[in-house]
Amino acid sequence: MNMRQVGIEIPKVDVLEKALGEAKYGADLPCQEPLHLKVLRSPTSHAKIVRMQMEKALRVSGVERIFTAKDIPGKNLVGTIVKDQPILASDRVRYIGDAVALIAARTEEAAEEAAQKVVVVYEDLPSIIHPEEALHPHAPLIHEKGNLLLEFHVIKGDVQKGFKEAEVVVEETYTTTWVDHAYLEPDAGISYLDEKGRITIVCPTQNVHYDQKEVASVLSLPLDQVRIIQCSTGGGFGGRLDVTIQCLLALAAFHLKQPVRIVYSREEVFQVTSKRHPLTIRYKSGAKKDGKLIAIEVDILGDTGAYASYGGTVAIRSAVHATGPYQVPNVKVRSRMAYTNNSWSGAMRGFGVPQMAFAHESQMDLLAQALKMDPIEIRLKNCLRVGSETATGQTLTASVGIGETLKKVKEWRDKLSLLKDDSKKPFIKKGVGIGSMWYGIGNTGIANPSTAQMEIDPDGEIRLFTGVADIGQGSDTVLLQIASEAIGVSLDEIRLIRADTAVTTDAGATSASRQTYISGNAILDAIKNLKHSAIQEASQLLNIDENDLFFENGKVKSRTCLTTSIPLREIAKRCAKILKGEGSFDPETTKLDPQTGQGVPYATYAFATHLAEVEVDTESGKVSVNRVIASHDVGKAIHPQNVIGQIMGGVAMGTGFALMEEYVPGEKTSFVNYLIPTSKDVPEVIPIVVEDKEPTGPFGAKGVGEPALIPSAPAILNAIAEAIGQRIYDLPANLERVLGAVQKRKLA
Amino acid sequence: MITFMLNGKEIQVEVPPHWTLLRLLREKLCLTGTKEGCGIGECGSCTVLLDGMPVNACLILAPKVEGRRVETIEGLGSRESLHPLQKSFMDHGAIQCGFCTPGILMSSKALLEKNSQPNREEIKEAISGHLCRCTGYHQIIEAIEALKE
Repeated sequence: MNMRQVGIEIPKVDVLEKALGEAKYGADLPCQEPLHLKVLRSPTSHAKIVRMQMEKALRVSGVERIFTAKDIPGKNLVGTIVKDQPILASDRVRYIGDAVALIAARTEEAAEEAAQKVVVVYEDLPSIIHPEEALHPHAPLIHEKGNLLLEFHVIKGDVQKGFKEAEVVVEETYTTTWVDHAYLEPDAGISYLDEKGRITIVCPTQNVHYDQKEVASVLSLPLDQVRIIQCSTGGGFGGRLDVTIQCLLALAAFHLKQPVRIVYSREEVFQVTSKRHPLTIRYKSGAKKDGKLIAIEVDILGDTGAYASYGGTVAIRSAVHATGPYQVPNVKVRSRMAYTNNSWSGAMRGFGVPQMAFAHESQMDLLAQALKMDPIEIRLKNCLRVGSETATGQTLTASVGIGETLKKVKEWRDKLSLLKDDSKKPFIKKGVGIGSMWYGIGNTGIANPSTAQMEIDPDGEIRLFTGVADIGQGSDTVLLQIASEAIGVSLDEIRLIRADTAVTTDAGATSASRQTYISGNAILDAIKNLKHSAIQEASQLLNIDENDLFFENGKVKSRTCLTTSIPLREIAKRCAKILKGEGSFDPETTKLDPQTGQGVPYATYAFATHLAEVEVDTESGKVSVNRVIASHDVGKAIHPQNVIGQIMGGVAMGTGFALMEEYVPGEKTSFVNYLIPTSKDVPEVIPIVVEDKEPTGPFGAKGVGEPALIPSAPAILNAIAEAIGQRIYDLPANLERVLGAVQKRKLA
Repeated sequence: MITFMLNGKEIQVEVPPHWTLLRLLREKLCLTGTKEGCGIGECGSCTVLLDGMPVNACLILAPKVEGRRVETIEGLGSRESLHPLQKSFMDHGAIQCGFCTPGILMSSKALLEKNSQPNREEIKEAISGHLCRCTGYHQIIEAIEALKE
């Protein structure tokens, strides 16, 4: 098919206003004399609230009102699946940063002064720091239902038998830590009553329709009394999937009936937004002499912190992805997620898969080493193919590009001249490492729908309605490309109406690398229906049988009379009504068996392989990642430049995950001590886009947002192991850990 | 009352002595193109040019700009007449979420005015005070590199 709008290089639709500095982010939104909100937070990780005294704070000039849990008219609990997180804590705080009171004042200074004058008397409770401790039978309970949020298993074949047949077995334990999203825009927004009296919140978010449900529940209002509008959003990476400021803003506007504004400081963002789940992964792999994997047994224990958020999702997705992109006949995975009094963990770019990839890719290299095999050969030998059955019993029928990504990386690797350590700098050691991954597109084994509408009015305006939140990754542009390709008009002829609950319908979250695939398909469905109604109308207008008509390049044409053709706009004009197509899409998945995890969790998967070249300074422990070859099977690149942008950004974030990023609850509160990669830390990246088209994807597309990040850290860690001859099992591989490994190697 | 050149025009404005230049720009002058990402000079999102030099506006007290020349993103280019850097950033995919973009554009302008032939290392150095979480910097570096004379 010759495509005009898909697969081309065009500037994204939102970049002009961003380049001019005109785009309005949360703190930029104009707002008529708003009251300023400030949150008073818990300084302690686990305590009873004995009493709160507001008198002094209320006497601060400019203070209008101080809200506590008692002011919440509806349900004071939010959460994506399990609702256990209070908007304002009523009797107990569970982590450093739990909100206890919300101050509204005429100036930010007054709100801050008042926050300091609220007296909260706490009675400390024992804090649980480690998930193992949390699961001890006599551990103090963080939530009444117990400290185990969720346990999930994937069972296939017979692992005992598998390990008996194995000729080589490796078993290691891997740990990862908290990572902050570090989106550059601190959470900020406004709330007011709109012209219809609706509580309206304008803020950065990844999912307006989810926010709407939470706010409505907290305020005990019908859904249509709450409106969420997404403003320009300065990054997300999963951190804006949970509500952040939405319910606080809404609560104040609801009571005060006047505009309110909140702007989090960077310190607050670090302290109170979600983090990547720390996982401890015990991983045992068995293979035959020829390198064929025969069994794996994996035990995963995660720290969800004080609240559930996406903890269950991460536990399940980690288990489902535990094998990596390989066929393994015998699989036993147990995955548990425990509450602690640490910062709460949530969604972060990959939902547990980056942590798992670090483990399964280290294991692959250990097996290769034990078997004296080439790391790429062992992966090629085991990788999934069309016809393979996954650990959950799903047979893959198409678009399994892992082998191709490996082959592309192998071509590069074979071209690299043999790495030689520099004889003038014997303390610098060089290494090359490989990391592969698979990633299921969309939510895991649950309904995952998106909806969209496409319409044309008699004046000729073509409109695309979608609830999808573009957080900078480019979905606005990609969805417009899909629409314009399908309907046959140019991109700038379509007006996009997006991410506003008053005028768009639920498209689900901008997460799980799902919007191109799922919302892209919902738009194609809307266009199919719009075309159908255009054909029906044209049939009446032209007095031609419907069956003789077809749609092509924005026109309805006759099959038999080649000169008969009527443009879509003409049809709408002549029939003097809005022609509309409603669309929806829900990928074909099945619920996973609660005992064995068997089922079809995702309709399609993305695949990728990275190769990293590193230099390790064995005197300082500093690792320099010189180059990453990043090979990604994305199905079809709708916007190739965007795909490459995701890959480049993913490698940078993966480099941070590998080498430097480590959040410590209560300690790390700024970019002074929480370091993310700068322009001087990122490697050169050679992106390779593999297009193994997905038959159910829009024009063959799958997704790339999370896959971009996942293989980098495993490749870097494998490269470090090759360079210094000693493996690191705990992330990040910071200076101390690298020096420790160098020392261990010397002693060995 | 302070007087300074803002984007080529002289302005006079009342400002409390403890306000930062960033707060003056955003809150009083409604120039919200300059962003606050951290407030302590670590992220570079609030970069403006002071007498042609990139500075973090969050670290400059507003009265310090008396008599000086301040340039912000709002003065860089317009819809009708984009600055070549703006065009190049758009064309090279250098803008994702866009929050760091205004600050990086200002640093890039300062770089190219000082050095019209920067090599890759010089470009990396010039933007190393800026954090960008989306792009991994590559397309930004390419966008700046494309403007070498």
